[in-house]
Amino acid sequence: MQKLELQEVSAGYGVEEVIHRINLTITEPSIYVVLGPNGAGKTTLFRTICGILKPFSGQTKFDDSDLFNSKDARRRIAYLSHLNALPEEMTVFNALKYYADIEGGDVEHVLDLLSLSELRDRKFSSLSQGQKKRVSVGKIFLRERDLYLLDEPTSNVDPKISKEIRDMLIKLSKDKFVLYSSHNLYEAREIGTYLILIKNGELKFFDKLENLKTRQYRIGIKTLNDVSKLLPESKFENGYYVMKVDSPREVAKIVNNLVQAGAELVELRELDNPLQEFFEEE
Amino acid sequence: MSFWQATMRRSVRLSRTYFILGVAMSIYGTILSNILSFIPANYGNPASTPIDLMNSFPVLSVAILSLSALLFSLPVVMLFVYDKNNGVLEYLLSTGLDQLDIFKGYVKASLSLATYLLIFSTIFNTVVGIYLGTSLDLLASVAVLTFAIGISEVFLVTISMMAFSSLQKTPMGANQPLGVIIGIIPMFPALILPLVFPSNAILVDILIAVATLLVSLALLLSIKRLILREKLLP
Repeated sequence: MQKLELQEVSAGYGVEEVIHRINLTITEPSIYVVLGPNGAGKTTLFRTICGILKPFSGQTKFDDSDLFNSKDARRRIAYLSHLNALPEEMTVFNALKYYADIEGGDVEHVLDLLSLSELRDRKFSSLSQGQKKRVSVGKIFLRERDLYLLDEPTSNVDPKISKEIRDMLIKLSKDKFVLYSSHNLYEAREIGTYLILIKNGELKFFDKLENLKTRQYRIGIKTLNDVSKLLPESKFENGYYVMKVDSPREVAKIVNNLVQAGAELVELRELDNPLQEFFEEE
Repeated sequence: MSFWQATMRRSVRLSRTYFILGVAMSIYGTILSNILSFIPANYGNPASTPIDLMNSFPVLSVAILSLSALLFSLPVVMLFVYDKNNGVLEYLLSTGLDQLDIFKGYVKASLSLATYLLIFSTIFNTVVGIYLGTSLDLLASVAVLTFAIGISEVFLVTISMMAFSSLQKTPMGANQPLGVIIGIIPMFPALILPLVFPSNAILVDILIAVATLLVSLALLLSIKRLILREKLLP
């Protein structure tokens, strides 16, 4: 059985400690969403796991191999940083081949997998932000690994591609460990089975997502017609029917009911960020 | 293709201006190396000067030819800074390479480019020298010294520039010129001492080259201790 283990890990840059005494043991292949506000230490955690940062104290192990010292263990990890990390002066094919030459892998397979064939001869620097992100994601699929660390992989990507990437990761997580950082609780709920919450460099929560108790969500619904009778618990504020729900799942039901009752829906928005509320909580 | 070969290819594509300048400077060095052949034998009496110009002046071209190799290989260091800022080095670290592997890759690329230019310079200088009637002994000395000084200087400049770029806090690579300054310091004695001790010019320059190579090698082998992996992060 594969095992990723962090024992009392503190790490950071220079003398500045960013993550503090993190204990984490992962044995089940799945998607683990690493959630936290900006500056919480998500990237530092990933850089420590993939052996770039040496822990100030504690140990990071993958199947009992020390991740900082073992090149073989590190080769089993794929790390996607928030930067594209591809040679901008090359074509898409050559940029991917650059890494394939260094670490092995199949460029054609990646082009097919991420529908990049039409971009293959385009210069990387000439691509849109979304296209660049897709190619960047592609490099971690050049060869198979056992642990995938993805730092906000769907940022700057349109919803269609985001979904494709998430679907790919869901498929991958059947027999691989996938750690996926985000600051979006909705995204976490959509793809994650486990949640790792980090705040101020400390591990605040590590459990199945369903065990996370959040406060109520406040949503605003804008319609062209009067739906006050359909939403008796709502208050009409600034053009929106504002109401509280316990989870995002309820939103889908409400929208369905409204549409079936003939409401002309214009906009649905989240008014409070329950995650922000969660992090403000001490 | 290995990492250093890929790095070398990328460097060539990055900036052709440096390569043109490198070739131009090596042509200039060749002219300097053979300039005495243009001076008529009865023109003045240069041998009576305190410095033996007849024997030592062509050695000056060694500096120019070595500098041409340095210019030719500079894009490698520019690429290093570019890759650091772009997150390429971070990704390479995550794939299992360490800082020594990465430094070795760029140093090999740099030395390979320098070697290509030095081979060109030497052949060109020798052919031109033979055509102009420059003594074969002198041409051989210039060839040996150019290789020795050129390679050692490129090695030291490359490793110093990369080290300074890694250690600076701002990500712009503004400390790179420090590497050039450190790298060309050994060239000054290599230039001046042969003028003072013309009969030992080759020995003096070879000693300087060996010392520079040893310092560069020691620096490279200490990279794991001197530069932490985090210093290669964007």
